Amino acid sequence: MQRFLDPEVLAGISSLDLLAKTVVDGFVAGLHRSPDFGFSQEFAEYRAYTPGDDLRHVDWNLFARTERCYLKRYRGETNSQLTILLDASNSMQYTSGPPPKMDYARYIAASLFYLAIRNQRDAAGLIVFDDEVREYIRPSTRPGQLARLFAGLEHAEPRARTDFAKPLRHFQNFLHRRGIAIVISDFYESPEIIVNTIAPLRFHGNEVVLFHILDPQEIRPVIKSSSLLVDLETDQRIEVVPDYVKTTYRAKVDAHIEELRSRTLAAGMDYQLLVTNQSLDTALREYLTLRQAGN
Amino acid sequence: MGLLAPWFLGGLAALGVPVFVHLLRRHISIPRPVGSLMFFERGTQSSTRHRRLRYLLLFALRFALILLVILAFANPFIRRLNTASNARMLLIVVDNSFSMRVGTRFADARRLALATLAAKPRAQKAQIVVLGGQLETLTQPIDDDAQLRAALQSIQPGDGHANFGELGRYMRTLSESVRSPIDLHLFSDMQRSAMPENFADMVMPANVKLVLHSVAPSAVPPNWTIESVSAPAELSDPKDPKRSHVEAIVAGFGTPATAKTVSLVINGKVTASHKVNIPANGSAAVNFAPLNVGYGFNRCQVRIEGGDAFPADDASVFTVRRSDPERVLFVHNANDTRSPLYFGAALDAAAHASFVLQSVAAEQSTDLDPSNFAFVVLSDVPSLPSIFEHALSTYVAGGGNVLIALGTNSARNPSIPLWGGNSHDVHDYTRTGNPASIGQVDFTYPPLQQDQPGRDNGGWGDVKVLYAVPVDPGQARVAARLNDGTPLLLEKQIAEGRILLFTSGLGNLTNDLPLHPVFVAFVDHIARYLSGSDRLSGSRLVDSFVQLRSATASQAAAGAVEVIDPDGRRPLSLSEARTAQSIRLQRAGFYQIHFADGRDAVIGVNPDRRESNLQPIPPDLLTLWTGSSAAPGGQSSGFAPGASKFRNISLWWYVMLLAMVAALAQTAVASGYMGTQREEP
Repeated sequence: MQRFLDPEVLAGISSLDLLAKTVVDGFVAGLHRSPDFGFSQEFAEYRAYTPGDDLRHVDWNLFARTERCYLKRYRGETNSQLTILLDASNSMQYTSGPPPKMDYARYIAASLFYLAIRNQRDAAGLIVFDDEVREYIRPSTRPGQLARLFAGLEHAEPRARTDFAKPLRHFQNFLHRRGIAIVISDFYESPEIIVNTIAPLRFHGNEVVLFHILDPQEIRPVIKSSSLLVDLETDQRIEVVPDYVKTTYRAKVDAHIEELRSRTLAAGMDYQLLVTNQSLDTALREYLTLRQAGN
Repeated sequence: MGLLAPWFLGGLAALGVPVFVHLLRRHISIPRPVGSLMFFERGTQSSTRHRRLRYLLLFALRFALILLVILAFANPFIRRLNTASNARMLLIVVDNSFSMRVGTRFADARRLALATLAAKPRAQKAQIVVLGGQLETLTQPIDDDAQLRAALQSIQPGDGHANFGELGRYMRTLSESVRSPIDLHLFSDMQRSAMPENFADMVMPANVKLVLHSVAPSAVPPNWTIESVSAPAELSDPKDPKRSHVEAIVAGFGTPATAKTVSLVINGKVTASHKVNIPANGSAAVNFAPLNVGYGFNRCQVRIEGGDAFPADDASVFTVRRSDPERVLFVHNANDTRSPLYFGAALDAAAHASFVLQSVAAEQSTDLDPSNFAFVVLSDVPSLPSIFEHALSTYVAGGGNVLIALGTNSARNPSIPLWGGNSHDVHDYTRTGNPASIGQVDFTYPPLQQDQPGRDNGGWGDVKVLYAVPVDPGQARVAARLNDGTPLLLEKQIAEGRILLFTSGLGNLTNDLPLHPVFVAFVDHIARYLSGSDRLSGSRLVDSFVQLRSATASQAAAGAVEVIDPDGRRPLSLSEARTAQSIRLQRAGFYQIHFADGRDAVIGVNPDRRESNLQPIPPDLLTLWTGSSAAPGGQSSGFAPGASKFRNISLWWYVMLLAMVAALAQTAVASGYMGTQREEP
């Protein structure tokens, strides 16, 4: 079943619904039984009440015995909210071989939605953005939500440039409940700006994950001779020599990735580099780990 | 090694095209998209030295192709030493036409030719050719000086008429088989009359260098000649004033006005002399009458007394045969009186022969023997008595000749006696009211022969034909046709004899031919042709042919012919005497011929009178002629044996061959590179 997580295999599946089902079922079937992961109604833990917590979850029996207010938590009952911010700028359509970065991002998003709604019964929402918010689907668990999300992903064609500031502001306006926010992008921007723009999402108690999507050729490009390169977003052209690509470029990309990772982790967020020739289970495992961690 | 057209090397600049396409142009090839240029920095190579050529094989082939094409245009050559085997061929042409008998022209020509031959390198090949009435090659291209010298010394002055057009045609044929350059040395009096009508006929091919050696003096001597003689070939009554006379035309070329004595010589005796005044560069006629000749062949000659610079052309010979009038059998329909009348009248009016017409109705011909007649005419006779028809068949098979004229009676009986075919239909032009005319006449056919037919088709154009019988020609020769293509006059050879078929009538009911003057000439010619008298006497030109036997006659049945030329020699060998069908009359004088059918002939042969005009070709025309050959010649009399020690061998063809190979390889390689890549399923 593992081969169904291979992006090249998935590129042959046109329906996102079928693709997500294939990925998630394959992923779940491959999991070993673990005390960390389960979907029963078993008791999980007590957690001290904090102002703002729903009083319905207060264990009143315990309060009667101890006069302390605790919330009772069960495994699998801890409904969470997943919001994916998908970068649909022009740079996401780059590919050196199937699938393009945009498709790879769609596969991840679709698989996460499927896993969240069908398996975890979590609410899931989508924000598609480039230099502005192009589509917003409010997180919900209503019937048909999964179909709406898939449709939103289908319509998310790359265009324009990336600008994190505007869509994140928009996102904060609608964010009233804690959950997991996953930003999927190639992050062609200064790490400092990226982190400074995204970090406010945590203020509401959200877990924020940055899925950094890159093509293998963007990390280790190969050119045999002097070439003319065109920026997909700005249409700017420059001539590049092979020596530069072999040395300086690789160092710059590595430094960018490392800086983004370190800054992200320092800001209390998670970072995951996803190369388009990798299987999708890394992203799914990351989601489940975060959900298990405290949401 | 060198280049014949080095200025084409300027085209080497085109070599920059493949360099541009493969090296420079690639630099601005298809841009590569990237997600972001955030981590890229601009970097430009300082020179093309660091750039790599792509498709090296294709580039090399394209480069080679352009280089080879330019090289081919520059025409490279290599120089090779002229060895004996591939050196220029020497062609010595000596004119021995009749005009070369003037003074020492022929001796001078032969002496110069011998000197040219002596100056030839020993290893060089040479060929000796004689230009007279015909072009004769005396040797093959050989380097044996003794044999070449002997061939030159064997040349004798002839009586023929030279034609430089003949020489040009021979050289064009020769140059197709001999690829090496040819030095043509022509020794001639450069007579103007030897030029062809079209100058292009005498132009030499490109590999021939023409060197002219004129042996004619600069001043043209005055020359008188007997231009033509009109005399009867057959004569039955010397006292007949209409026929018994000789008319000669005396002409002068480059001559002042003078008086000349002209004599008629018969069998060696001067029978008459007349003094005639000849204008400057003009001509005058002389008449001799009556012509007192004895029975048999009389060798006659008209000559100018007194002599001039060219005495050989002062006399013209001819033969007059005196005999009793020959009978002609004219078989006609009983109620047809017009055709014997018209045919007989025309036969009487004919000047050159004497015949007596005996006309009989077809029904009365049973007991007649055709062999007693010179020829037989069947006029509109649909059927003959079987005995007479059989006798006629035998007569024709034995060499007799018959003229068959069809008429209105042919519609009743489609079978044509003797001819062997049927007439399926008749063309009655009176029904349409639009009579046919004679559209096509073969003037080379002896009964219709005319030297220069006029615009009215030699007099035949005005003839209206009202009735004709279409006949399938089959193997027969068609000498004349109507304008709708219907054959009018046909000839068929049967064994030794001939049958002529006239598909219309000889009277004026079926056509109006008997009313036209051309009818008399037609009857005269046809009578002489069918009786065979035209080949027994009279005069001919040098190089004309005499038919000795028919082409269809079997050799076993035919006897040997005997020919004695003017020098008293027999030009035919014994085997030729049994097989030869014709003989060319090469010498001027009297030829005696004994034919296979037992008849004898004495024919006077005269040179072509164009040879008497000694006017040479103008120098500018000679310059044009020599300039038309590949290497500029000139009237140099010397031979330059070392003129071409080396020869250039062009490599153009080989270079173009290589270029073609390069082009094909380039196409194959390019199609491999540029082919559409199909996706694997």
